[in-house]
Amino acid sequence: MTVGGAESALFWIAGPLAVAGALALLFARKAVHAAVGMATAMIVLGIFYIAQQAEFLGVIQIFVYSGAVMMLFLFVIMLIGVDSSDSLVETIRGQRWAGLLLAAGLAAITIAGIGKAAFGTPRGLAEANKDGNVSGAARLIFGDYVWAFEATSALLITAALGAMLLAHRERLTPKATQADWSRERIRSGENVAGLPAPGVYARHNAVDTPALLPDGSPAELSISRVLRARGQVGTTGALTQVTQEIEHEVGDESDEQATTRKDDDA
Amino acid sequence: MNGLTSYSYAPLLFFAAIGAGFAVFSVAAGALAGPKRYNRAKLEAYECGIQPSPHAEGGGRVPIKYYLTAMLFIIFDIESVFLYPFAVAFEQMGLFALVEMVLFILTVFVAYAYVWRRGGLEWD
Amino acid sequence: MTAALSSVPAADFVATKVEYAAVLPMFIVFGMALVGVLVEAFAPRRVRYPIQLVLTLGGLVAAFLVLVLYSRDHQAKTAGGAIVIDGPALFLQGTVLVLGAVGLLAMAERLDSAAPDTFTQSGSAVPGSPQEAAAVRMGATTTEVFPLVLFAISGMMMFPAAGDLLTMFVALEVLSLPLYILTGLARRRRLLSQEASLKYFLLGAFSSAFFLFGSALIYGFAGSVRFGEIAKAVPQVGGMDSIAVPGVLLIAVGLLFKIGAVPFHSWTPDVYQGAPTPVTGFMAACTKIAAFGALLRVLYVAFEGLRWNWQPVVAVVAALTMIVGAVLSVTQTDVKRLLAYSSITHAGFVLVGVLAMDRTGVSSTMFYLVAYGFSTIAAFALIALVRSSGSEATHLSQWAGLGKSSPVLAGAFSFLMLAFAGIPLTSGFTAKFAVFGAAIAHDGTWLAVIGVLASAVTAFVYVRVIVLMYFSEPSGDTAVLTPSVLTSTAVTIGVAATLLLGIVPSPLLDLAHDSSLFLP
Repeated sequence: MTVGGAESALFWIAGPLAVAGALALLFARKAVHAAVGMATAMIVLGIFYIAQQAEFLGVIQIFVYSGAVMMLFLFVIMLIGVDSSDSLVETIRGQRWAGLLLAAGLAAITIAGIGKAAFGTPRGLAEANKDGNVSGAARLIFGDYVWAFEATSALLITAALGAMLLAHRERLTPKATQADWSRERIRSGENVAGLPAPGVYARHNAVDTPALLPDGSPAELSISRVLRARGQVGTTGALTQVTQEIEHEVGDESDEQATTRKDDDA
Repeated sequence: MNGLTSYSYAPLLFFAAIGAGFAVFSVAAGALAGPKRYNRAKLEAYECGIQPSPHAEGGGRVPIKYYLTAMLFIIFDIESVFLYPFAVAFEQMGLFALVEMVLFILTVFVAYAYVWRRGGLEWD
Repeated sequence: MTAALSSVPAADFVATKVEYAAVLPMFIVFGMALVGVLVEAFAPRRVRYPIQLVLTLGGLVAAFLVLVLYSRDHQAKTAGGAIVIDGPALFLQGTVLVLGAVGLLAMAERLDSAAPDTFTQSGSAVPGSPQEAAAVRMGATTTEVFPLVLFAISGMMMFPAAGDLLTMFVALEVLSLPLYILTGLARRRRLLSQEASLKYFLLGAFSSAFFLFGSALIYGFAGSVRFGEIAKAVPQVGGMDSIAVPGVLLIAVGLLFKIGAVPFHSWTPDVYQGAPTPVTGFMAACTKIAAFGALLRVLYVAFEGLRWNWQPVVAVVAALTMIVGAVLSVTQTDVKRLLAYSSITHAGFVLVGVLAMDRTGVSSTMFYLVAYGFSTIAAFALIALVRSSGSEATHLSQWAGLGKSSPVLAGAFSFLMLAFAGIPLTSGFTAKFAVFGAAIAHDGTWLAVIGVLASAVTAFVYVRVIVLMYFSEPSGDTAVLTPSVLTSTAVTIGVAATLLLGIVPSPLLDLAHDSSLFLP
């Protein structure tokens, strides 16, 4: 089996990249780093497929795995928070060692098997790619395997039904509109002008940061009760302190504040 | 065949080089040309919005609503996997493939109609 | 529709011909499933249940009638070889349609109230949460289960009729995915149900991966995924046994998992216990039928030439399945888990029939599947009726004294237990006789001996249940609900079939024998 000059150059440049990406996926402690490592490995694999004249597979690899699946991973990470690292506590004792042992055994069998194999002349590539690889795949999908292709639609519908049944909470009563809420406020006579908006000065307007009342105490009403139940309410004390530090850093600080800060540090 | 192969990769490599060059240039130019006045606010992930919390309650689990969005996304992503070879080879395959593809799309559209009518596409 | 249009050929692309007469039953079931989804989308909540019930049952009956009256005379290898409608395929498809309809009757049970009895009204709500209570109060429905069952049935019809490994894999997924979802939708003991669903899904995904990996190896060996081509390649391609044999065994692992054979059985008790009880009956009957059909086709059509390699392995699996299933059923204290281990043991008995490797193997296997299917659906439908403080009373101690308090249920259940044990005058006896007879005729005497011993052990278990029902004092607040006409019909059909196949088995045995030839 011979490999052309350009192809072997590509292999020796991209191969290590793919391996590095895969290792990063395994060993990175932070989810974002693992995700980036995985994306690298996926894209490089796609490039390999294209280099081996499997354009369809290569494009789908980048399209589905690097594009879609990676997007979803990143979406998850975004929602969890970039700092979270997984708990590495074993729930079953000795699981990791047993896993490593089995993996080593599988690797040994696979390497022994591949090492023993005699690589014959590849057959059928020219024939399969006669009209282009993607067209060839299309002929198979819409020709001989059209039944399996159509049956796949049943899988997609089932997936949608399942996702809706297991994850979607159906709205059983009509949703209250802005006008409804407004009428309700007027009728009850409380907070007629609406609830106070969250945020401290111009520093932070996040929904988890309570507004400050004139006396400096946080306004409880400005925070959604969902966040309070989740324990995600930010503290204003830290924020005012940060603001002062930032003012200090940019040199926009009054003497009075600087003195206070020095006292705090001491 | 090898000569042909290496030539046919040339545009790919060319574009890869341009892409990489542009990325490096953009990052480097910003760092070199811009004023540097660092403060903590600029180093934060979000200037507004909820801070990503490392120890959110329940181990920082993802809201289940997200799963629905992800699943629907995957479904239509898979559909487009079939559309790609169809679009490339449509002219060779003629009406039969068109009918098959339309049947497939209509079938998946049934799922779409269900999800849409039941409010699966509304975030809230 | 496509047949008319495909008369316009373009370039050298040849449009695939489909023999619509042969596959019409599958089209009907699939089409009804699509209509069912549309009903879910557009019909108001109140009328969904009656519409779905009529549509689903009507679709199944129509498909069965078309199969018997029309498709039977149009046996063909069609859709470019992807679908093979031959004797075994038609027989098993017909069986799946009938048992699916019977199972559906039990699943649709509402006990004369407006709310579903079997399925939760809000699958996404946390069990016991205010959202769940609100969903119940507002009358939410989970009538999606009807199209889901139809999708599962269309996959089950495709599975034994698949003509290549790719179609078989897609069919495997089409039948499995709805079952994973249905398992997680039990109305009572929701957490157990969700756990079962997750376990089933994860292990099922594993087994699918085994199947795919084996298919890839076989494609590398034979250069085709069509069963006919593989069978031709087996004697021609030499020196590649190191690919072919692992390939066959990996494919077998994927199928044996669905069957629930030891050592791929560990999901069965948990899933059977956690799933809504009528769904368990449906799974136990119809999934087994479809999976055994696929196993028969793979082993008999594609890999007959490699039988000296795989036959000893499958024989050991059959022996282990019978022994482990029988021994573990002795220690069970939960009725659903007991029947789960019983279904494992029965899978072992059917495997003994499969190993006969000729027409009697096919016909006895198919007869056994029909007999077991009717009994098991009726048995699970009965279990769903025994309640204690609002929940299903599945612990054996709660069944004590049922013979006095509800003689009809106890009588029917005892009869089904006797059929499971293989007592004469029940279908279980005829079925066991058929598979063990086939095995003895083809060097499988040792398997038949193990089978008889395992039957004796399980007979002890079943008789213990009967003794408990009739000769113990009732304890606790176990009550038996009065079923509506749906469950009653399902149970009546199941019990009647069990009795009929025990007394006059010859018509069905003849039909199974006539339909036991695979198209190559």
